[in-house]
Amino acid sequence: MFFKKYNEKKDGVIRGYDVRSTSVKIACIIIMLICLLIVLCSVFPVVWVFLASFKDIREFNREVTIIPSSFDLSKLQDTWQQFKFIKYYRNSLIAVAGSIVCAVIFNGLLAYVIAILKPKGYKIIWMLVMWSLLIPSITNIVSLYRNINILGLNGTFIPLWFAYGANAFYVVLFKEFFEEIPGELLEAARLDGAGVLRVFTSIILPLSRPIIMVVAIFAMTAAWSDFLLPYLTLKGTQFETVMVKLFAFKDTPTDAVSVLRACMFAIVPPTIIFAIFQKQITDGASAGAIKG
Amino acid sequence: MRMKKVFSTLLATTMIATMVTGCGSDADTSTNSTDDTKQDVEQTAEQEDGEEVSSDSGEEEVTITLGIWPEDTLTEDIAMHEGFVEKMKELYPNVTCEPSYYKYSTDTFMPMVEAGTVPTIFESWFTEPKKLIKNEAVADITDELEARGWLDKMNPSIKELLSDEKGRVYGIPRDGYALGLMLNVELFEEAGLVDDDGYPIYPKTWDELAETAKTIKEKTGSAGFCLLAKDGAGGWHFSNIAWGFGATLTTDNGDGTYTAHLDSDEAIKAMEYVKSLRWDYDVLTADPTNEDWGTGFMQLGTGGAAMYIAANDAVNQPTQVNGLPVEKLAMCPIPAGPSGQYSLYGGTPYFFSKDATSAEINAALDYLEIMGKAPVATEDAIAGMEADAQNKASEGVPVLKRFPCWAAQDVLDAEAQVVEKYGNVDPKMFQSYFDAAAGDGLRLEEPGKTQKMYDELTKVLQEVVTNQDADVAALMKTANDNYQTILDSDEE
Amino acid sequence: MKTKFKRKDLIGWLVMLPTLILFTFYVWEPLIENIRLSLFKTIRYETKEFVGLANYARVLKNPDFMAAFKNTFSYTFWSLAIGFLVPIVLGILISETVYLKGLFRTGIYFPNIVPGIATIWIWNYFFTPGPTGVLNILLGKLGIEPSVWLNNPKWTIPLIIITMTWKSAGSTALIYMANISGISPDLYEAATIDGATIWERIRYITLPNVFGLAKTLLILQIISVFQILYEPMILKNGGPNNASISLMMLQYRYAFRDSDYSGGAALSVMICIILIILSGIYMCLTKKKEND
Repeated sequence: MFFKKYNEKKDGVIRGYDVRSTSVKIACIIIMLICLLIVLCSVFPVVWVFLASFKDIREFNREVTIIPSSFDLSKLQDTWQQFKFIKYYRNSLIAVAGSIVCAVIFNGLLAYVIAILKPKGYKIIWMLVMWSLLIPSITNIVSLYRNINILGLNGTFIPLWFAYGANAFYVVLFKEFFEEIPGELLEAARLDGAGVLRVFTSIILPLSRPIIMVVAIFAMTAAWSDFLLPYLTLKGTQFETVMVKLFAFKDTPTDAVSVLRACMFAIVPPTIIFAIFQKQITDGASAGAIKG
Repeated sequence: MRMKKVFSTLLATTMIATMVTGCGSDADTSTNSTDDTKQDVEQTAEQEDGEEVSSDSGEEEVTITLGIWPEDTLTEDIAMHEGFVEKMKELYPNVTCEPSYYKYSTDTFMPMVEAGTVPTIFESWFTEPKKLIKNEAVADITDELEARGWLDKMNPSIKELLSDEKGRVYGIPRDGYALGLMLNVELFEEAGLVDDDGYPIYPKTWDELAETAKTIKEKTGSAGFCLLAKDGAGGWHFSNIAWGFGATLTTDNGDGTYTAHLDSDEAIKAMEYVKSLRWDYDVLTADPTNEDWGTGFMQLGTGGAAMYIAANDAVNQPTQVNGLPVEKLAMCPIPAGPSGQYSLYGGTPYFFSKDATSAEINAALDYLEIMGKAPVATEDAIAGMEADAQNKASEGVPVLKRFPCWAAQDVLDAEAQVVEKYGNVDPKMFQSYFDAAAGDGLRLEEPGKTQKMYDELTKVLQEVVTNQDADVAALMKTANDNYQTILDSDEE
Repeated sequence: MKTKFKRKDLIGWLVMLPTLILFTFYVWEPLIENIRLSLFKTIRYETKEFVGLANYARVLKNPDFMAAFKNTFSYTFWSLAIGFLVPIVLGILISETVYLKGLFRTGIYFPNIVPGIATIWIWNYFFTPGPTGVLNILLGKLGIEPSVWLNNPKWTIPLIIITMTWKSAGSTALIYMANISGISPDLYEAATIDGATIWERIRYITLPNVFGLAKTLLILQIISVFQILYEPMILKNGGPNNASISLMMLQYRYAFRDSDYSGGAALSVMICIILIILSGIYMCLTKKKEND
């Protein structure tokens, strides 16, 4: 019964006909168990945060337990209010939303030029972009930070948003996808007299929903988790994001339980998004990066 | 450069003098070192008390950000500050105050300067002025202080510490502190280490500390002593131990160069002692390399550790922040070593953002007056002191006298009265600490690139608490070589 | 004809101009500015006088430099030993399951959406030495003595790499899975007819097929691990006794703790040179792949 389904297996080394021998059957079960164990390991730390958030600090420091003695939601509420966490959520939301828009528009446009318009000299740009893939801007944070200061963009979301508009990886993703769009479609539009930007908005973008989705999800996760640039530019303003708060625990005396509760607050929104879009996200993650 | 040593001795003696006798001298201070400030002279002349000055800055709208705001979790303190803000609105309707809690740290400060997000007023440490002034990171407030007549009230040696070579002043002191040993009395009781009157029997020498800590660990399961080894604070605490063992960690050669002595026999003995706390007595917390200034208070306050090196200006940390009942906190002097008893002392200065305008600085100084942290004893200032003491009492924070840093008799008197009125602790719990702080064992931090020295010492501390086979002499030699390299290079 | 050609180029360049400005601002100009800063004596960002390579000499003389340099390579080594192999194994294992595959995919990807800083805080409490550390609690249930984890300098770096692997292995495994499911079953079946065992099929069919992808991911991983920053910073502040300090951490200390931007810039140029060498290797490898 159990092994019948292996006959329908479409990929992988073990084929339906292998599953007749006992040793392969055992192997299949062992693999299942190992995978279950791995999933457990993947999920356990996060489950633990949720559990530990319900402990109070004495319990946390002195009791040798995993399960808290009580599940009192008001403790979480207290920490939430103490930190005025809603403010950090709001700021992170603004940062993430702007980053997604920038990630899609700017990288999309550059990829459009490189993949389709191909003006004279585009290859140089492509080469530069490929190199940027290998030397991420974080390496040059000292001078990047100087640039931001010179333009007086400190204490605003602007440098965070636009940072996502210059992401070589997203450009590569877009370019690979745009190159698959049938040339006839573009030619037809052009013959109808559509301008360059018109082709982009009315042909390319509608056709590129899947890749836009992938980039948007990548940008969303990255922007939500991003800390160094937000920390340098927003620390001490009223615009601190969730990650700035989490990173700042490093130098602010805060008890362990409050840190963990804040971590939990930071994990909840992406978890909800993940629960809703899990299929798109896992598909995107594997499909998107396959060509990278 | 030799001047610095003179100043430190001077600072020590004046602090002790003002503390013990409570006598300030504001009449004879003729330290008018600011010849280059010509402006505002007449204004100073007419403004004896100075508190009306700021309103002169006109009806212009001024917004100040208050880095001295309490952190998010201290709701009662925030309420108190909200009261101060109300008072500000009443007296100076043109000033808007924005809370912006900031705890100074070397890691975060310079980016904020670049970003222009430094609060108008913030607290720092007495070790920082030199670096901050050199990097043009804080505002010159000489003129504003002069106009208020505060310059002369400032303890001269503290003023020197907060000035550049030209005598321009960049900060004002909040208060001073001396390191002592904070005790969690609950754990002492649990371990039976209290005398007949219920006072903790505290260790007087480092050897006694090890024994006391051992008893506590055996009887209660909690760590006896919380040693810091995560960041520079570890080295900062260690220098107290090293002094007790007879070490001097750096000498000032007087010609702008310094010589490190981290590998002296005395320093090595002190480090060996720390090592024995981990491996022979095993009385430290689970992971000293993860303990910093803040977690140390957490350990002490939540019963994770019974003893912790800390100062009187941080008594709110174990109690209010970490929940230790106010009557369960005691303080005693830093234990003595074979060469005597020494405690490090320093202080907390207020600095002002380099971007703050004169009007903003004045508004911030007004705020200090309302808080009762300025050298004025007006009704509002006393109300501020009372609010502070009252809030401390209701929040379970010991109300203790401050180490004075202003030579203004009326302020000192007012303060003493307030402490008397709101006193919420048994003074005997703190007696030995204050006695020692009035003694001659006070030492300023080592000269040179002190923070870098702390970093080097912290690395050794990390090694000796994680590696039982650590060769202390060799580690101290390396640390000494490293530190000497840093001292000799032009690296800051 | 000629003018039309030019017009098309111009439009192309205009379309990508905004993105190019962003790339210049975030990536290319900082790279060059770093070189300039590194050659001057600075007070904050103001350059005072030209000092040649003095800043480089100063950085090389820093007592922490050698430790950071060695550690950074040690991070790279361990990330190859652990972080590189785990996703391949995971990918192969999950490909062999037929039940709960969706759960496995979602489960192993989940850590990837947990923000990095939160991940590090969580693991920080897992690695707490003494009886209240989470791992020690779990081991205690199995009757195993508590361990000191990160405080053993021999284990600090490998354990940090394990933390990073926990976070990223799942998403990488999904890429491998997509690649593996693209292998035609006919290959396996033909091999079976030739008498190949399951192991032989993995060895001679699966592994060679993922090899190209693995090569690319390998170099990308080296580059990203080379810039490890916040993990050791939050976990152990570079300790114990410099056992986990990294080059990027040293750069952060130069720039943002000591506000010594020229020192930070000099170090950053050195990091870039190393990265360029590594990138050169990558370029060679991908070229070869294209030629295959």
